[in-house]
Amino acid sequence: MSNDQAQTTGKPQKPKFRWTEDAIYTNLSYLTMVLPGTIWLILFAYLPMPGIIMAFKNYRLQKPPADHWIQNRFIYSLIESPWVGLDNFRYLINPVNLDNTIMFVRNTVLYNLLFMVVGLVASVALAVIIYELTNRFWAKLYHSIFFLPFFISWVVVAYVVYALANNTGIINTLLASWNMPPLEIYKEKIYWPFIFLFANLWKYTGNGSILYLAIITGIDRQLYEAAAIDGASKWQQFWNITLPQLIPTIVLLQILAVGRIFGSDFDMFYTLPAGSAMVRDVTTTIDIYVFNMLRSTSPLGYPAAAALLQSVLGFILILVTNYIVRKTRPEMALF
Amino acid sequence: MLRLAAKPRSARDMLSISPSTNFILNVLMVICVILTLAPFYIIIITSVTSEQSLIQNGYRLWPEEFSLNAYTYLFREGSIVITAYRNTIISTLAGTVLTLILVTFYAYPLSRPNFRFSTFFTFFAFFTMLFGGGLVAYYMVMRQILQIQNTIWALFLPSAFSPFWVFVLRTYIKTNIPDELIEAARIDGASEWRILFQIVMPLSVPGLATISLFSAIGIWNNFFNVLLLVDKVELYNLQYMIYSTLNNIRFLLENASRMQGVVNLSELPSQTFRMAMAVVTIGPIVLAYPFFQRYFVRGLTIGAIKG
Repeated sequence: MSNDQAQTTGKPQKPKFRWTEDAIYTNLSYLTMVLPGTIWLILFAYLPMPGIIMAFKNYRLQKPPADHWIQNRFIYSLIESPWVGLDNFRYLINPVNLDNTIMFVRNTVLYNLLFMVVGLVASVALAVIIYELTNRFWAKLYHSIFFLPFFISWVVVAYVVYALANNTGIINTLLASWNMPPLEIYKEKIYWPFIFLFANLWKYTGNGSILYLAIITGIDRQLYEAAAIDGASKWQQFWNITLPQLIPTIVLLQILAVGRIFGSDFDMFYTLPAGSAMVRDVTTTIDIYVFNMLRSTSPLGYPAAAALLQSVLGFILILVTNYIVRKTRPEMALF
Repeated sequence: MLRLAAKPRSARDMLSISPSTNFILNVLMVICVILTLAPFYIIIITSVTSEQSLIQNGYRLWPEEFSLNAYTYLFREGSIVITAYRNTIISTLAGTVLTLILVTFYAYPLSRPNFRFSTFFTFFAFFTMLFGGGLVAYYMVMRQILQIQNTIWALFLPSAFSPFWVFVLRTYIKTNIPDELIEAARIDGASEWRILFQIVMPLSVPGLATISLFSAIGIWNNFFNVLLLVDKVELYNLQYMIYSTLNNIRFLLENASRMQGVVNLSELPSQTFRMAMAVVTIGPIVLAYPFFQRYFVRGLTIGAIKG
């Protein structure tokens, strides 16, 4: 390690870079540091990517012959399976399956839009209310409590839903004591959008409001004082001072959310309905469909096609959204 | 929670909301608090109700008769709950340590202006946030190439790293640790590794605590990877164990009429037992919260603001 010369970079005016002995040594250290993370990314994120060609093949798992140069069954089958073009995609939209496909795509997109809009409003509202409360002790206590559900897994939430709403559950015991018909949530579809929305708000609102609260706390108080002197109401102050300060963060988070619009919170959609077939029309999302197909005996090309569409459409959407944001408000774009 | 208390604001400050608005908002918050805590209350109170009173009276807001039988039954000798607990604790500890190592080692070089490949490695991580191979390919690679199914690795390795945390920590280091400090250490002859361990990490404790907490929650609550990759009961973690219990019971109850005589319904794990399982599942992670709380708002907010 030579320390006779200071690093040239990091000074205000960037001098031309030279591969000095020091720079080589430092960069080698850095490369060693990023190595473990890079290996993880390759194994768990990049290695599955070539698998998307399954969507264009009639994939059948087969054993490679003993003398073949590839002995891994998955790779061998992936290469040897015949190409079928867009057949797997046609399967998703052929008349027999079209209704089903529309159903799970519609569920995915609508639930995501619902969670995005309601979740955003709830998080911002909570942050503003917490900030405005005059008693700081209570405000902190409320917020600490609202954060708690973030720690609870969806499996446990499924237990709670079951305890509340099964035939001998709390809600139905109460309804029965008032001589009212029981609530059959595992048999009737109408309840599920509300259950998912409420569960989603319950789990994520406290967590979502942290960032907004931190930004509101950082806003210069003089802005509000000046507005108050000019006679602006609290409501006007919110629209004209607080909200504009929050917009960049809101836009950033919404761009990311748009990219995930074809994804879904798998654990929630999978565990809460507890596999009830009678409500599957309102609880199946793309992820659930792909998982169920993966577990069934049908050819893997079908779920692979659905999963590829999900990835590609999400990717395109995030690029388009980011492009539009960059055209209108460049400073808010994600990249 | 946030350090708001220092802000000078008297009760009659002209910027304060009026007392009546304050009162209404407080009432609203109390209602929300009750709704937030209700599920916790239901689980805990049911778990300490005696089974007989639950069968006779159904779920009640206040039990007629208390009992800790469910818990003693839960931790009886040779119980599957103990195995699941052990798996969950081992994977959470191992996974959290691994996350810290992977994320810190990846984030620190990205925060340095003199890392020549910073753009490449930033993109290399960021791209995985935008695009993925899809579930089917992931499943096949995990099972056929990496072959981590039915090993303890399946419980934490796939969730031990996240580009998002890398960017949070990178921004945190950039905004909180002055370049001059690192420069000075370098001039004094400290190696990059020493700078990382002795300067950067001690100064990033809030950021590291936040990442540890989120990683620990993720692995403790890991359900999806166990569902995909674990078929052996002795490798179930708590989440998957209680999930399969609930599912088995629902299946048996729904088909009880068709299987008359095959299953004895009274031998099913009781309702209080199930809730006790839920309590021991959420217990430790909720108890860890206060210890991390003082750090993570700072870690989360400073790191997540775009930089």
